[in-house]
Formats: sequence, C-alpha cells, structure tokens
Amino acid sequence: MVSVINTVDTSHEDMIHDAQMDYYGTRLATCSSDRSVKIFDVKNGGQILVADLRGHEGPVWQVAWAHPMYGNILASCSYDRKVIIWKEENNSWEKMYEYTGHESSVNSVCWGPYDFGLILACGSSDGAISLLTCSGDQQWDIKKIPNAHTIGCNAVSWAPAVVPGSLIDQPSGQKPNYIKRFVSGGCDNLVKLWKEEEGQWKEDQKLEAHSDWVRDVGWAPSIGLPTSTIASCSQDGRVFIWTCDDPSGNTWTAKLLHKFNDVVWHVSWSITGNILAVSGGDNKVTLWKESADGQWACISDVNKGQGAVSSIDGVANEQ
Amino acid sequence: MAARWSSENVVVEFRDAQATAMSVDCLGQHAVLSGRRFLLLVNLDTPSEAPRKMGRQSKWDVGTVQWNPHKTESHVFAASSNQRVDLYSWRDGGGEVQTSLQGHTRVISDLDWSCFEPEYLVTSSVDTYIYIWDTRDTRKPTVALSAVAGASQVKWNRRNQYLLASSHDGDVRIWDRRKPNTAVEYVAAHLSKIHGLDWHPDNEYILATSSQDNSVRFWDFRQPRKYLNILSCQVPVWKARYTPFSNGLVTVMVPQLRRENSLLLWSCQDLNSPVHAFVGHDDVVLEFQWRPQKEGSKDYQLVTWSRDQTLRIWKVDNQLQKLCANNLVEDMMERMSLTTESEKILPSLDQEVATPTSVLSAAELQADQDGVVTSTKRHEPTALPQTLQQEFSLVNLQIRNVNVEMDAVNRSCVVSAVFGTNQVRLVVKFPAHYPNNAAPSFQFVSPTTIPPPMRTKIQKILTDTSLQKVKRNQNCLEPCVRQLVSCLTQEDGSDVNPYLLTNPVAPALPAFPRVTNTYGSYQDANIPFPRTSGARFCGTGCLVYFTRPITMHRSVPTTEPTPRSLSALSAYHSGVLTPLKMRTESQSTLRLYSGSPTRTDKDHVSISSFYYKERKPLQSRLRRWSVQTVHDCPKSRRFKTKREGADCANRPIKLAGKVIIQEISCLLPVHKALGEAYILNVNDIQDTCQKNAAAALLVGRRDLAKVWALSSASTSLDLSPDSEFDPDTDTPWARHPFGRHLLETLLAHYSQMSDVQTLAMLCSVFRTTQGSPQDCFSLYGQHVPLRSTQVPLHHSRYPSYTSGSVTSGSCSSTSDSITTTTWNIGRDPDHIPPWGESSPDDYRYPNQVYADPREREKELHDMNKKLLDPANTLQFDDFKKCYGEILHRWGLKEKRAEVLKFASSPPEPHKGIEFGVYCCHCRSQVRGTQCAVCKRFTFQCVICHVAVRGSSNFCLSCGHGGHTSHMMEWFRTQDECPSGCGCRCLLQSTF
Repeated sequence: MVSVINTVDTSHEDMIHDAQMDYYGTRLATCSSDRSVKIFDVKNGGQILVADLRGHEGPVWQVAWAHPMYGNILASCSYDRKVIIWKEENNSWEKMYEYTGHESSVNSVCWGPYDFGLILACGSSDGAISLLTCSGDQQWDIKKIPNAHTIGCNAVSWAPAVVPGSLIDQPSGQKPNYIKRFVSGGCDNLVKLWKEEEGQWKEDQKLEAHSDWVRDVGWAPSIGLPTSTIASCSQDGRVFIWTCDDPSGNTWTAKLLHKFNDVVWHVSWSITGNILAVSGGDNKVTLWKESADGQWACISDVNKGQGAVSSIDGVANEQ
Repeated sequence: MAARWSSENVVVEFRDAQATAMSVDCLGQHAVLSGRRFLLLVNLDTPSEAPRKMGRQSKWDVGTVQWNPHKTESHVFAASSNQRVDLYSWRDGGGEVQTSLQGHTRVISDLDWSCFEPEYLVTSSVDTYIYIWDTRDTRKPTVALSAVAGASQVKWNRRNQYLLASSHDGDVRIWDRRKPNTAVEYVAAHLSKIHGLDWHPDNEYILATSSQDNSVRFWDFRQPRKYLNILSCQVPVWKARYTPFSNGLVTVMVPQLRRENSLLLWSCQDLNSPVHAFVGHDDVVLEFQWRPQKEGSKDYQLVTWSRDQTLRIWKVDNQLQKLCANNLVEDMMERMSLTTESEKILPSLDQEVATPTSVLSAAELQADQDGVVTSTKRHEPTALPQTLQQEFSLVNLQIRNVNVEMDAVNRSCVVSAVFGTNQVRLVVKFPAHYPNNAAPSFQFVSPTTIPPPMRTKIQKILTDTSLQKVKRNQNCLEPCVRQLVSCLTQEDGSDVNPYLLTNPVAPALPAFPRVTNTYGSYQDANIPFPRTSGARFCGTGCLVYFTRPITMHRSVPTTEPTPRSLSALSAYHSGVLTPLKMRTESQSTLRLYSGSPTRTDKDHVSISSFYYKERKPLQSRLRRWSVQTVHDCPKSRRFKTKREGADCANRPIKLAGKVIIQEISCLLPVHKALGEAYILNVNDIQDTCQKNAAAALLVGRRDLAKVWALSSASTSLDLSPDSEFDPDTDTPWARHPFGRHLLETLLAHYSQMSDVQTLAMLCSVFRTTQGSPQDCFSLYGQHVPLRSTQVPLHHSRYPSYTSGSVTSGSCSSTSDSITTTTWNIGRDPDHIPPWGESSPDDYRYPNQVYADPREREKELHDMNKKLLDPANTLQFDDFKKCYGEILHRWGLKEKRAEVLKFASSPPEPHKGIEFGVYCCHCRSQVRGTQCAVCKRFTFQCVICHVAVRGSSNFCLSCGHGGHTSHMMEWFRTQDECPSGCGCRCLLQSTF
C-alpha cells in the first residue's frame, strides 16, 4: 500500500522549490530560496545530510540528477542566472562547472537520456535555452537556442531516447541512431518541441492550447510503445496531455486533463509513464491515471501536509 | 528585486564598534571603522575574522575618515576629530597616530585626499575656512581658502589636480588652489542644505550634489545656472556618488523612519527608477565605498557600514553594471559633447538624442570603457516589452483596491480604484504608435468622485509620467498606475505616509514616482513565480513531494490565483500592499547567523513574504510578540527559565516544509518482488514459466500467473518449431491462433497497462524459443535489408494487432500460396502476404532480388515459425531496455544483464583499456589468444612454455607472463621475473 517511507526535515532557511531523488532512490537533493542545495542520504528511512552546496547567489529553483553512469552529478539552476553542475568525488561535492551564459534567472534544468552522453538543457527567463554537453575532461560544449520563447522559458524536458519512429528504418544489430529531442514551455503560452538535426537545434513543433504562461512540461518516459506523450501545465490552471502516434512526430493531439483553480506548477510522470503527479499553487498534489477508455481520472489526492495518499485501494488490486 | 536577492555577499556584525565613519583603503584590503573608543581595522578578504582594534581616547566622534588613495601611502589614513585631523599609519597589523593637523577653530566637516599628490589633504570646517595641507609640513596648512560661510563638504576634482569643490548650505563653490582668494565659480545648487558632493570620475566639469531638498542634481559648473539633470526623490538625499563603472550613481537617502533604508543604484541615463536596491541594512547607511576591483574580476564590490552595526559587501556584477550603461549611444554622445572644450550648451542628460547608430563605428563602440557592451548588445538593451499586448501581459499591478481591465484589441484599459472615500475610474487609451514617443490619453469617467481640480492635477502628473517614458520608447502603464495610486494615497490621508507631507521643504517639482514604488520589477516581470510545492516521481516507486508548511498562509485571499511572475513580490516590498513584514524574524536570524558571511539574513524580500499572514501594521516590537504568541507560545515561557530558550523563542516560523517520500510502487504495474523472483532460464523454458507463474501468484498478480501458465503451454517442446520442418507439410505453431496471435494479444494488453515488466519478460521468454540469442543476432544480421523495407507502418502500433484478425484458415492458405505461387517480385498486388495481418498494399518488395525463390521462401518460413513477430524486434528491445533500466534502479544488476542478453542489439562494446599483444610467432598485432595471421597461439607461458589459452597475467613492464596459476605460484615466493630478465615485476606492475 501507499505509505510514507520518509519525512525529511531539510532545515532550509527559506522555502523549498524543488526536491528530487537520484536514480536509485537513495539520495535526495533539495533546493531553496536560502540559496543552498542540500543532499541527503535517505536510505532505509534515514536522513543524513551529505552536502550543503553553497555557490548560488539567489534562490535555487531546480535540481537535476544525472544518470549514475557518469558519476554522481547534480545540476542546479538559480535566480542568479547561473547553472552549477556539482560532482561528488571522493565523498565530497565540488563544483564541476558553472555556466553563466544566461542573462536572467535560469528556471529549469534537465539532463538528457544517458544514451546521448552527459547533456543538460537549461531554460531561462532571458528566453533562451542552452544545451551543455560534456565533451570529457571538464570541457563543456555549449549550444544556445536564442529566443526560444519570447519573454522567457520556464521548463525543459527531454524526450526518451526510445524513438517510436525508429521501428521503420533502423537496422537491427547496431545501436539505433536516436534523434535528440526535448520539449520546452514558456511565457509565450506555447509548448515547443525541439530536435537536433545535423548538430543544429531546430524548432520541430509548436503546440498551442494554454492561455497563460506554461509553467512545466514533462515528456513521459517510454516503455517502448510507439506513442509519445507530453504533459504540460500552466498558469491558467490547465493541464494538457499531448499525444503523438505518428512516427514522424508531426501530429500532436491535446487532451485536457483537468482545469485547476490555481496555477499548476509541476507535472511529473511515473517511471512507467502511466501515472502523472500534478502540483500547483493550491498546495496540493494529485495523481492521475489514464483509464482503459482513454479518460484521465484522479486516483488520489495527496493531502497537503498530511502525507497520505487516499482512495487508491482497488487501483492497485485491479491488476 | 534582481539585486535584492543576488548581490549581498558578506554580512558581518561588529556590535561594539559604534563607528560613525568608515573608509576602504586603495588596495581594497582593509576597511577602517572609527568609533569614539576604537578604530577597527577589518580585513575585507576575511571580514568575519576578529578585526584589529586601536584604542582612541576622545570625547568626540570621528567625523570623517579616509585612507590615502595612493598606493605608496596606502598605509595612511586621516580621521577628523572635532577641530583636529589625526594621521594614522597602519603597518604590520598595528597602527598609531603619526601626526595631527591642527588649524581649524571649529569642528571639521569633511576631508579629502588629493588623488594626484599623495601628500595633499583638504579639510573643510564650520569655521568658514578650507585648508589644504601638505602632510610633509604639518605645522600649518599650505593653502587656506576663505569661504565666509561654513562648508559641509569638500572634494578634490578627479581630473584636474588644482580644482576642488566645497558646499556651503545650498551653494557649491569651485576653487582653484592656485587662486585661493576667491572661488572660481559659484553654483546656487539647492534651496536647502547640501549633504553630499561628488565629482564625475571622468569629466572634470561635472559634479553631482545631493540635498535636503529631496533631489540630486547634476551640474556642469561652467553653466552654474541650470542643472544638467535632476533626480527627484521623496526624501532628502544624504549622499549621491558616481560609480567607478560607467554611468552609475549610488544614493543614500536620509531616512525618515528608522527602518527605511534606501541604498539605491541608478543609471544616470534613466533617473526615473533605480536600477537596483541594495536591501539588507536595518538602519541608516552611514557610509558606502567602492572596493577597488580585484585584478581579473569584472565585478565591483560595494562596502557599506550602517548604524545597525553591520558591514556588508555587495557584489555588483557585470549584468548590473550593464544596466547602468544600458543606453550606450546616448552615453557616448554625452561623453563626446562633454569632453569638448567648447562652451556650447551641453545636452541635458535626459534629453533623448536619436542618434543614428551608423554614426558610431563598431570600433568606437568596442573602444568604450569596459568593453563589455559590444555593438550587438546595444540593440537589446533591456528585456522591455515591445507591444501593447506584451506590456499588458507583463504588467504587474497587484495593488490593493486597484483593478485594471486591459483590452489589447481596442488599445485601452480601465483603471478602477477606491481610496478611502474617493473612487476613481480612469480610461487610458493607447495610440497606435505607442510607446514610440506617443503617450496614451487619460480620462476620468464616472463614477469618479474626486474633485475636478484634483482630476486636472492628476491628469497632468500622469501625462508627464507617461511622456517621460514614451520619450524613451518605454511602456508607461505600470508607472502611471502607480503614480495614480501614489497621488490618491496622498490625497486620502497624510497619516498613511506621514513623511510625505511633513517635509518642510516641499519639492516644487512634479511628483516623481516614489522611489519605493519603482523597486525591482526590472526583469522579474518575466521570471515565473516560484514553486512552493511540488511532487516528483523518483527512482522507481517513490513519490517525493513538498508543500508549503501549514503555518504559511497566503497574504492575499485564496480566491485570487497565485501571481504569475516574481515581480508580484515587489509590491510586498514597496509597501503598497502591506508594510514590510516580519522584520522580527530577520533580526532573529541575523542574530543566529551573524558572523558567518555565507549565511545571509532574510532581510531581503523572499518568496516567503507572499505567504505570510497579513498583519496589522503595529510597532515592530509588538509585532514580534504577536508572532511569538501565535506560534511560539510555550517557548517564550522557556525563554525565562532557560538560556538556550532565547534562540528557540526567536526562531522564525519554519519557512521550509518537510520533504515527504512516499512509497507508491503499489500504483505501478511493475513489482520489485517479481523483478527479484523472475527467472530466465534459457535451457528450461517450461520450468522458467512455471516458476514465474508461482512468483506472480505470490505477489497477488493472478493474471500474470495465468499468463505464465499459457506461456508454459505454448512454449511446450512439442510445439517448438523444427528447423528441419518443411514448410510444405505443416503450418508452424506460430501461425495458430493460440500462437503468435495469442501472444500479441497479451502484449497489447500489457502495453495498455504499461506493464513493461511483463512485456519484457514475455519477449525474452519467447525469444528463447527461437534459439539462443546469439543465433538470433546472426540471423537478423542477414535480414537487415529485408526488414528495413518491408515492415508495414502500422505494425508499430499494438492496437493494430488486435484489429488485424487472423484466422487459422487464412494462415494455412497463406502457407499454401507461398508454395504454389510463382514469385513475381514487387508486382503482385493481389498476393496475400505470407505472414502479414496487414493489407497487401503495405507489403512490397521493391528492391529485394532473390536469386533463388526458395531462399526467400525459407526465410519467410523462418519468420513464420517465430512466435514473436520479427518485424517488431526493435520494439521488443525497447521493452527490454526499459525494463533493464528499472531493474538497474532496483539494484538488480544481474537480472538486468539476464534480460538484456535477449535484446537483439547488443550493448555497447566495452570501451575501457584493452591490452593487445604481438603474436610471438609472426609479430603481428593480435587481440586475444589466437593470432589471426598465423593462426597460432599468440603467447607462451614463461614458466611452462606452453601456449596460454585461458587466464593469463603479464608484467606491464617487461612483458613476460603466462598462466595466472603459474604466475601466482611463482610470485608467492619470488619478486623477480621468472624469465630472468631481472625485472622486479611485483614492484613494476600489479598482478
């Protein structure tokens, strides 16, 4: 059954803006308006502060763990216009790289699928999206998409490396040649899809449905099925689920998941891509699941502060 | 806002300093804080270290202190004390008074070192004399300037070594020290007392004066009658000084209320609103100075000392500097014209010069001061919105009692406001060219209740405000509405803003936007309002979420949606919405963390400001107690009994909630228990299926138990495809409805459930029924061209499997047709696909040329024999890859490896270091034990002289080695190479 396995008191001195566990679910990284990033060891229900990373000079908005095949790496982005990539070496966390190429608050960071190497997308309020690729030896290769979203970019999320279209003309027996793609959301109320072609990032699709700033986008993880799914949420309180069955990735259809009363800040997909966690200004967390007939239903309400997911019995048993 | 959060680097409290003056030395190493009893020397590199103290016996406070600005004399500083100036020398961590300059007969008001000659010091006094001292002869001043009136400030010109300026009440006098008898120029600068005077760092004729009359004025002393520009404030200005980088100005206001602190950074180009507010000090800022830039650093640091007994160091980075110099063309025009010697009237600073950019070559631009601003940057000066619609979407008007309805289509908006008894409805219409030098029109409509004279006055103010903005092609809606609010609040009752009207010298100027109203919002308007709650799926079965603590309430009614952008917070700071709240907390945090420079007190406006419960504007002390009684009641009792309780009682309300990790794996279709229990035994599929069925039962997945039972049945050896099987004689099992079709139905079902675990396991198990994985590789390797062309599109969708109904009848007839039809490659539209559920149109072999039709037939038959449609192999691989990832996250690496073995595309080859050898027979390069050239074993064991095939070890130094077992045995007792080469292998390399 659903149960709270850990409650971490972060001792941040100001409000928390993001919390994320690493690949194995053993460590928790949090970031806050107090300008710090903290890492906790949360194995077996414990909470040991592993590191208190100081380096940002403004509130830290988001953190992102890289795939562990590249080591223990965490990226953080802040109001201070910086992106800092931290790395654990010999049990101590150090700044691995600091990116200062944005001219306004950096609102979102997201690591690409490990198949693409160590690549980080950053979305900033200056409207640009930067792509930082580690080319080994502490060298970072930077590509910038200027003016990706007029007024500002609020969120970025990578597409899984499993490309549905690959079924068609991928020779077997060798590594498929995945196309790098990601989705972004911004203050122009748009959700945009980007893909890399011959080393250049190009706008692939522009999805319009929201009537206010798009606050978060989430590309659902793929389990190998040909449908691509993206969730987007906005200041207008709406959450849309975008799907694309077309292997060329050109036709996206939007489905309204729900209209909330307040801004929706965050969407997050479960690892199997069938449950969506939605959270926003109303201080509540809800979980949504698509039923067999394609309707999205709220399967639980994580009550604020109570730490309980209710009304989910039966869902688990139906399988 | 930008700066408010980012710029403060260091806060150090010196409680007992009681210093009234501060100075930073020319090396940027030390700051001296001078109080009545001590002089404190603070090392600015390590400010939190205890400062050095110098005792001082005087009943007078130090009036002014200043380090000598010359490197050679950097250890000297002058401090004025009543009528005397003491020259201190600071060396090797200790200091003493070197000498004293006595001459003035009344208190010294100011002193200044010359920046040209290290020995020259000027002092001004209330005794009406200004003395220039040569410190080599301290008996008497070398030059005495008689001003008749007492001076408050005196400053050397920074470009001309002879010139200096002094202020006398509201006048400024310019002196040439070579002509001591009379001043060179008089400037009747202000109506009331001048508090501050500063020369332009680069232009010898320009200076800025700050005064009690609520303004800063900029002067070219050659035109003493008209100021170049004016910065109007609502409060008297204590000091205004130019920044060391281009075109900035820092001001400190004379605080009217104790809490108010107003250290502001301005751009001389745009004096309507500050570029930045340095917020942090709790009390009057007594002194601010620029720390000389470190080599290689683009950042400047501002050192400030306040009556709150804290020294702060603020970073002013490139971005901020740029903001000060944002209008480069204008700036350069101004500089060029100012530096000309001609006496022509200078363009006033606020005059908009529409200079074609082509006038200035790129080189000129590059040659500008800091080189940061390049020609390309110039065209994107700010992130200011361009169109009306953009302005509307960005405008930040979270003001109580004010409602703005915007209509971008009709280019108009309606502002409704209620203040006390007054009601206002204002229609603003924006012309088509707006904001390009076209101001909007303002019209009051009913039910506006304010009297007509007031309407006219406000309209005039609004028009002025808007004109100022549109002249610069800037948007004006927000400033205008704030202006309106400001006017109405004034009208509403002076008790709201008492200091607005109590000032004896009422400014005769049009009311400019209140400084506090124009805070921040420079770039914050497009920064999204931060998340304060969020949920994320992490790892495999965890949901991590955090919410605002229950103690945090929103200060606006919950019916109002959360603001969209960060600039909403500036309203909280400016006091438009609520008075600055919760200072008490910041003070307690200050106490808790003082002395630790990396910690910052929360004296800035933080996101948390938005969530505090609104409180009545009580006295701060009262407020503190109300906080405690609400939230910390029991603790305040402990406060009396326990000493440690003090911290407890003062602890701020928790701003950070707890992060909760919830186990939600039961919601997921995959099970860790199954991941552990599932087996994949290639050699005994039957057994595998049965055991997996049992495992599924254990976790309560009866459906899976049935699936495994079915799998067991359909993988029965009796049904297994026989390679010798002749396609002519029988239909392969896969063609049976319970064969491939059943399997595909299952896969479709579990796809819909996103049960990648089952999908991957089924794919793996059925893969094994087609031979060992290795065989499959080779098989598919040959099939590359075939597959790449013939896979129909809709194979990629699982739902289509179920739709394409296949009957056994059609299957067998298909098989028959294969045998009977003569192949007509690529031209047989009527041909029924041999293994396809798809339509014939999808199904062509345009490029496939088979020499022997039988070969193709055989291949097709091979395909048909498979329970898993080979066309979807890549998709099956994706299932396995994805499941492999999940197993990896579970820490089940062996299970992962087992599953990935069944993937058709092999994992990436190992890319670590590999050792190669040269064949000992033919000397060719070999990988592995057998030489590809001479086909002999590549190396021999140095001990038994037999070719090594199995495990071997070599010394990386001498290259000798052999069977691992032999080497182990040898080196157990020896440390030299068994070959006798003399190499000490154990030391040279590690086995």
